[in-house]
Amino acid sequence: MLTAEQNDELTQVAAGTPMGELLRRYWYPVAFTRELEEFPVRPARLLGEDFAVFKTPRGRYGILPEACPHRRASLAYGVVEADGLRCPYHGWLFDADGSCLDQPAEREETNFRSRVSARAGVVQEMGGLVWAYIGPAPAPRLPRFDVFVMDGVRDIGWTDLPCNFVQIMENAVDPHHTEWLHGRFFEFMARHQGFDAPPSFGKKHIKVGFDVFEWGIIKRRVVEGASEEDDDWKIGHPLVFPYNMRVGGANIEQMQIRVPVDRTTTRFMLYTVHAPVGVEYPPQPSVPDYQIPVYDSSGRHRVDYVEGQDMMAWVTQGPITDRTVEHLGRSDIGVTMLRRMFKEQMSRVSRGEDPLGVYRDYRSQIDLPCEKNKFDSGATFAIDFIDRASSRFSPQADALKKLHIKAHENRKAHENGKADEKGKAHENGKADEKGKAHENGKAAAG
Amino acid sequence: MTAGSVGSPGVAVGGDVHRGWFPADAERHRRDAPRYCPACAAALALAEGGQGLITEYWTGRDRVFVCFCGACGWSGDIVLAARVTGHEAAE
Repeated sequence: MLTAEQNDELTQVAAGTPMGELLRRYWYPVAFTRELEEFPVRPARLLGEDFAVFKTPRGRYGILPEACPHRRASLAYGVVEADGLRCPYHGWLFDADGSCLDQPAEREETNFRSRVSARAGVVQEMGGLVWAYIGPAPAPRLPRFDVFVMDGVRDIGWTDLPCNFVQIMENAVDPHHTEWLHGRFFEFMARHQGFDAPPSFGKKHIKVGFDVFEWGIIKRRVVEGASEEDDDWKIGHPLVFPYNMRVGGANIEQMQIRVPVDRTTTRFMLYTVHAPVGVEYPPQPSVPDYQIPVYDSSGRHRVDYVEGQDMMAWVTQGPITDRTVEHLGRSDIGVTMLRRMFKEQMSRVSRGEDPLGVYRDYRSQIDLPCEKNKFDSGATFAIDFIDRASSRFSPQADALKKLHIKAHENRKAHENGKADEKGKAHENGKADEKGKAHENGKAAAG
Repeated sequence: MTAGSVGSPGVAVGGDVHRGWFPADAERHRRDAPRYCPACAAALALAEGGQGLITEYWTGRDRVFVCFCGACGWSGDIVLAARVTGHEAAE
């Protein structure tokens, strides 16, 4: 439970607010790489502000406020040129740094253009996404988290949700919801709607734990039948502060991304890499993206898959959930920890310090801790994941299942081969020993 | 990748009577939440000019206030305990 003022502060995204200033210290995905290949300029909304993001023919990316500094027409309808983006209205040209290079209707000697610049952000491409930083200079490094740079077959599911991103992030430190929302509720809906619910999600939580680490909060759990020696506790998986959650298991690696588009809109993205060992990955000229359904044809939430259930919970909490009338219990300590972390990092920013997860030394790959054996459910998790989670809507869902099955068969064949070799070696060893004994025996007898 | 702008800057936050339940608990929270940092005595509540955060959760009949002070960085739990119990000293 919070006061209204605290809830207000926690859920702001606007520049000038403590939370908005904190959020402006991070990089966010603002477009799919393929979108700017198909057409070199498009609108993007981030943290309540509107931008034009573009790619020049020379391959340089840029992001500028959508409204032209001249007379506010949209630069998202701009003309992309070698040097930058030209306003469609009167032809003012801006480069990716925001400098005004040309004002065709003004006389050159007035030097008016040196007095007018656009407040540019910084843009980079990584893993099929175009990332932008719109905070104060100098921009920190774009974190090269493992899923965005590792080998594998990738795709990106996405949708826009009509709610504040903080309530989505609170779900990331709430392990108990899994056994109910994705367990009991899933079974209930399956019984009534006639489909199969995967049993792996419904296991009872015996224990949950949270640790602050370099990139956020590691969430741990022990489910019934498992122990602290299992991956779910020993490794866990992290909330990657302030807007991601890293999940995975059974050779599927995923970053769940929750971009605060504005105060009551969140771009939810499921960036997935299928990386089964034992198979060669087919080449991907571009990363496929697909929209995941939120509602059914009657306007009700679609709850026959895992993320559909999550989205139902997040959206039905309200555009900005009213935390003045919530009732947290002991099982919600992860939620209280996250709120404290947000507030602590707001304080750091107000003191002029870098907040958690902002880093400035280049690393080619940042490996995040993430369990491999999910819910103690073994290899079936990969197929459950594709059949009963958002991946089922991927245009490559069938190919992905075949990939996992093929990899599994190859691994088995490899293991059997090794076992055969071992067996043979063992037999040969025994035969050798027998032979030697026989020889020795003969020699001894001789 | 542009979202439809569903929200508006003037969305009401907290005290949403159409979605709100238990307003008495909200009132008790405002009344009972710690007002000053135990470490540096700075105000905690935003409404009183503080820079802290206080989240309340319940455990049994106890009310736990998870506090963070933005002035000095102190954080800790303050418990309004309905009953204080002890146990036998270990031998």
